[in-house]
Amino acid sequence: MTSTVSIVLVSHSALLVAGVRELLRQVAGEHVGINTAGGTEDGGLGTGYDLVRTAIDDADDALGVVVIPDLGSSVLTAKAVLDDEPREKVVLLDVPFVEGALAAAVIAATGADLDTVVAAAREAWDARKL
Amino acid sequence: MPGSCETDVVLGAHLHARPAGQVVRAAARFSSDVEISFGGRTASARGILGLLALGATAGQTVTVRATGDDAPEALAAIVTALTTTP
Repeated sequence: MTSTVSIVLVSHSALLVAGVRELLRQVAGEHVGINTAGGTEDGGLGTGYDLVRTAIDDADDALGVVVIPDLGSSVLTAKAVLDDEPREKVVLLDVPFVEGALAAAVIAATGADLDTVVAAAREAWDARKL
Repeated sequence: MPGSCETDVVLGAHLHARPAGQVVRAAARFSSDVEISFGGRTASARGILGLLALGATAGQTVTVRATGDDAPEALAAIVTALTTTP
């Protein structure tokens, strides 16, 4: 299997990222790389710098990586990790968490390039539910 | 001169997340542009969120239009995705 753009989900909650990853798997299939960093190192609610860094480092970056945080310190921690050690082809996305991740994962599953995946995720801002 | 073709499809299931994902993945195999119309709105088959926002449910009829060099094949693949994904 050729690689795809990889997704890294960052949240305060391990359960939340696990649930979103399950949804992405169901809709986008098994071949998209999805790494998660949820909660703190001791299993609580919050974000852990090392968990986020590891999730990003472990992602397959052949085609690129999109990092999608939920809110608050998830954003700050992901930004800090990427500011401390800038990486090529790794993009921190400002998008609605579930919708952006879903749009990114589905288009990534088609083998789309990084720019296309980023654009699809950002379209989540314009997608009305009703 | 790119071809264009369209057909109506009666949905066997709601156009919810999983079938919409299948539509996007099927459309990506072709160079043609594919659009799905329902209720006066049209969504590109390349974007799952737009497809979900159509709000099309089981038993309703959507219109699929493909435009491009491989339009007939693209149309057939999308119809299959719409009618066979549970």
